[in-house]
Amino acid sequence: MLTKKVAPQAPVRAASPFLQRPPLRLLHGVAPLRRVGTVGLVLYALVLGAGLGLATANWATRGRYPFGGVVLNAWTAWPKIGARDADPYVRAIHARTGEVPLALGEGLLLTALTDESGRRLDPSCRYRIAGATPPSRAWTLTVERRGRTKAEAAGEPAGETGMAPRTGFTSTEVLRDRDGRFAVTLSPTVQPGNWLPMPAGEGSIRLVLRLYDTPVAASTGVLEREGVPSITREDCP
Amino acid sequence: MTPFGRFLLATLCGLVLAGLVHVAAVLAIPYLATGDALSQARATLANDTSVLVHAVETGGKAEGAPAAGWLPRQDPAVAVGICAYDLDDGPVRITAETGPLLETIALHGRNGAYYAITDQAALRGTVELVIMTKRQYDEALASADEDERNRDMRIVAPSREGFVSIRVLAALPSQQALANEAARSVSCTIDGPDE
Repeated sequence: MLTKKVAPQAPVRAASPFLQRPPLRLLHGVAPLRRVGTVGLVLYALVLGAGLGLATANWATRGRYPFGGVVLNAWTAWPKIGARDADPYVRAIHARTGEVPLALGEGLLLTALTDESGRRLDPSCRYRIAGATPPSRAWTLTVERRGRTKAEAAGEPAGETGMAPRTGFTSTEVLRDRDGRFAVTLSPTVQPGNWLPMPAGEGSIRLVLRLYDTPVAASTGVLEREGVPSITREDCP
Repeated sequence: MTPFGRFLLATLCGLVLAGLVHVAAVLAIPYLATGDALSQARATLANDTSVLVHAVETGGKAEGAPAAGWLPRQDPAVAVGICAYDLDDGPVRITAETGPLLETIALHGRNGAYYAITDQAALRGTVELVIMTKRQYDEALASADEDERNRDMRIVAPSREGFVSIRVLAALPSQQALANEAARSVSCTIDGPDE
């Protein structure tokens, strides 16, 4: 502190120039006028606080839940989003998006952004989603992309110009093997069996598993015991 | 204090302020938002039946599908109907005729969902709920006839305003019309004093 008082420029030069230069330039201008400097610093603190606070609040409530999920392999379960004790971030996200969440007694939402080994879902790859699902009366497995597709953006209703590509399977329509297990192939090219086409458009891929009327919602411990479907990357060009 | 020290102090104050602003903004968003489901549902307040806000279209174009959906992306196989209520006018009675499809009914207040029921709770094919405020509930209890058993399922709402969401799953594309119709046909009427 003492050396700084005597020669304020000395330590600044020694430190990283990238970090130190802006305050130095700012202070050179305001240091002689101490009163203006105080006002400037207060203004600076206010602008920094307001700007940073609003920006982070906006970022945290953009659309995907920042925390509160239960991670199970590649999947994340969201048991709290439709409960009375949903956290403020979930409430803010719902208020901004207009989402009507699955309530605690209705079902459970699970999402996956990565495959089993933790790599992001790649739109050009082929994935196999297989295994058993937790106990529920019905479930649906859907794939979605963050950005809207061109047809959606243009307001063109799907189905008018022919059938829209499949975006999901329900537990009733999925083909199963003799043991009641299923395997869905998520791929951009046609596949035999349960083919889930990779959605066209921009943005990251997200798999969504919704369990309807499930006892799992009450305690996610059941999920760990019964297991969730695995997502394995099979083939990449 | 050195100019740099003052600058550092100002930055620290700014960061603390940023934290406060962040928390305040996140807490304020539900009260300031205009695109939330409750505000959107309020337009349907005058209706006696639920309004379809997300139609199943797995089996082709749905009839009477909502033109501009305000909901974010939903399950493509699930029809979502919505019915807003305001308990100022009296308790609200929700009556849903259940069919062969999986149907869930959830009640949402200002602070999120507070109650949910599925079609498995249906009695003779209908699910019937009465939503009331704590005050209305106490009044109903006080004025109840002792000899007569009340069979209504009464639910005390945490807030005056809210909405009911109805989800019907079309397990197969051929059940599309049935699911959309079921999500649209739940009645939500004000329970008059002359019941």
